[in-house]
Amino acid sequence: MNRTWIAIAAVAMAVAQGVRPAVVTSQQADLAALEAALSAAPDDLRAANDYRMAIIPVKQYDRSIAFFKKLTADHPTAANAHLNYGFAYVDKIPDAGAITQVILANNALGEFTKSLDLRPSWIALYTRGNSYLFWPRIFNRTKYGIADLTEALKMQKIETKRHYHVRVYVSLGDGLWKYDDLPGAANIWREGLAQFPDSDKLKARLAKQGDELKTVIEADYDPQKRVDTSLQDLWMER
Amino acid sequence: MKPLLALLAAAAVAATAGFEDITSKAGVAVAHHNRKFENPYAHIMAGYTALGASASAADYDGDGYDDLFVTDSSANGRNHLFHNNRNLTFTDVAAQAGIDSGNDAANASADSLWFDYNNDGRPDLLVVRFGRSQLYQNLGNGKFKEVGKAAGLDRYLNAITAIAFDYDRDGDVDLFIGAYFKPVNLFKPETPNFFPESFETANNGGGVILYRNNGNGTFTDVTDKSGLQTSGWTLDLGHADADNDGWDDLYVACDFGTDRFFVNRHDGTFGDITEKAIGIDTKKGMNVDWGDFDNDGLLDIYVTNITDDYMKEGNFMWKNNGNLTFTDVSRETNTYDTGWGWGAKFFDYDNDGWLDLYVTNGWVSAGSESYVPDVFEMIIKPDLDLSDARNWPPMGTKSLSGYQKKRLFHNERGQAFTDQAPKFGVDSIKDGRGIATADFDNDGRIDMFVANANGQPFLYRNTMPNVGHWVELVLTGVKSNKLAVGAQVRVTAGGRTQLRFVDGGNSFAGQGSMRLHFGLGAATTIDKVEVRWPTGEKQLVANVPVDKLTKISEGSTK
Repeated sequence: MNRTWIAIAAVAMAVAQGVRPAVVTSQQADLAALEAALSAAPDDLRAANDYRMAIIPVKQYDRSIAFFKKLTADHPTAANAHLNYGFAYVDKIPDAGAITQVILANNALGEFTKSLDLRPSWIALYTRGNSYLFWPRIFNRTKYGIADLTEALKMQKIETKRHYHVRVYVSLGDGLWKYDDLPGAANIWREGLAQFPDSDKLKARLAKQGDELKTVIEADYDPQKRVDTSLQDLWMER
Repeated sequence: MKPLLALLAAAAVAATAGFEDITSKAGVAVAHHNRKFENPYAHIMAGYTALGASASAADYDGDGYDDLFVTDSSANGRNHLFHNNRNLTFTDVAAQAGIDSGNDAANASADSLWFDYNNDGRPDLLVVRFGRSQLYQNLGNGKFKEVGKAAGLDRYLNAITAIAFDYDRDGDVDLFIGAYFKPVNLFKPETPNFFPESFETANNGGGVILYRNNGNGTFTDVTDKSGLQTSGWTLDLGHADADNDGWDDLYVACDFGTDRFFVNRHDGTFGDITEKAIGIDTKKGMNVDWGDFDNDGLLDIYVTNITDDYMKEGNFMWKNNGNLTFTDVSRETNTYDTGWGWGAKFFDYDNDGWLDLYVTNGWVSAGSESYVPDVFEMIIKPDLDLSDARNWPPMGTKSLSGYQKKRLFHNERGQAFTDQAPKFGVDSIKDGRGIATADFDNDGRIDMFVANANGQPFLYRNTMPNVGHWVELVLTGVKSNKLAVGAQVRVTAGGRTQLRFVDGGNSFAGQGSMRLHFGLGAATTIDKVEVRWPTGEKQLVANVPVDKLTKISEGSTK
């Protein structure tokens, strides 16, 4: 077990035990240790993810945002630092007011774009593409989401198949549905189900129509609900 | 032919059964006009001042029929006093009564409130204004006299709402005014910094002002020592006795920041227990109405916020837990999403003994282009001074949360609500603001007057067939204030007890009748009527008949 995992375990234990002064002190020390580890390896996707996952239970979102702001300023070419900086904004959204949510989401998009500009990757394309889908139609951002997710799909088709690739099928179909291309959406969901026959999300979408389908999809894009921004799927084997 | 005629007649009844729009034939089809400002910020202010369409019901002449006061807001717009002709038509007598001049170059009508400021038993009238509000003494002969200055109420405020209740239980009602903008002269602003400093935590609004009634026709501003010091963007105020201790508490709904809950401390002061009672929020509180929607003997609160594609705040249905805390059950009760909410009012439209709810909504219904992207462009600019009006984009001819359908929520036995507005044809898409509920034709069914911004109102006559039995009570205080504001009545019939109270103007830009209306369902007799007067004294009233209006005087058992 490396230092990062020890720190995460300590934070998790502190949360489970409730907030007491000694625990708070310990949490701060553990977060500082995670920050130190990440500062030493700013482009380390896993270290950044571990830090954010430790931040969420203690709701120190502003600390995380400030940390990534400095990290990316110190290391402007660290694509994964920008990606996680974007996620740091996303992590705060469920605990923010409706207007602040918009500002956070917009800031997140800016960092995802910087990450993509530095290094086009499947995870960054999927992340930004999926983020666009949270925006109300009035902002006309769905088409950008479809474009990113289409690129991500192309990318994954020439890579080794991974269990997390199912996400692109779900999101791209959702984007097409939101763009009023229901046949296109259904085609993508069907294609995805052929690749990932155990996907409950794809099954649910293909089983519903009309308002029921709308309910299923919109439940996944509710800004009041916490989005799972953990990237551990990328290194977890199934 | 007779059966055919009968069928046709039945079909005609079926087509209108529910609510009938009688606005035109009742003679109340007069449009409200928004104020158009003439100052350097007018093009920006236009989008944020689509307000002032209010309606207040009261029997000002004591003839047994509720009348209506309705405001306009344009510089030359006249306010209206619709005298009830007792046949579902009304005559505008505002000019003869001397209360039509609520607008001029330096003042704009925003709301209205009937309240008995001199405790003579006659409803007087407060015209709530951006500017200096007007207090009209009801002289009892169909005429009114402006006494605002003499009463000490001529302070410049950008007032948008007012309620009156006897917070200190000294036998007369006190006046609570909610102000939206801080008291800058909106007509000739000397600074551009009069807009909200934040969308979620703004504290540069007009707050709440409490005028204590001195009992001699004058008022004293006691805000500072009352514990009500606030600087939020107040949009509505609502009072009721939350914990049944005999003292009315106060809910303050604020735009651009948290609502506030103040508990009455019984000593002429209030305590801010917001965090404990309702928590701190970042929403856009628009309306406060109190009612016991679940018939558990505790008064609950309905607050509208903004819910749209771009901003999903959700309303509050604050279920009263009985310990000065409330739980939001708006999602569970299906009252969460009513668009850009405005005035909302509890009332039992089908006399089944459960409070239903009508909700107005819609901000600006104009051109096909949306104003949302303009606002978005503004809010993502870093370090922008939002209090500077010049930083806000003009709305022009664009729409913002416009063309929204009103909701008529039927109460499903206190568990949830179902929207019946389309079924009964009360789902207008006009920009609704205030609601005045009253039984204008004394037929035992509550009617609705809906004030719309920059448009004609609606008068909906309740023609609901097969409604339940009912009873209406008119209370007269003796030791308590004469109009009995704050009195609670518990009526037991058909195996259940319902709680209603005389409110002093709750709900945004609207005031319902001061009569208490109880739907009784199938019950044909009343087992018990208990009045708790504002003094705290309880009184049992015997032999109250159903399907009739009964007058109850404090201290009398009949």
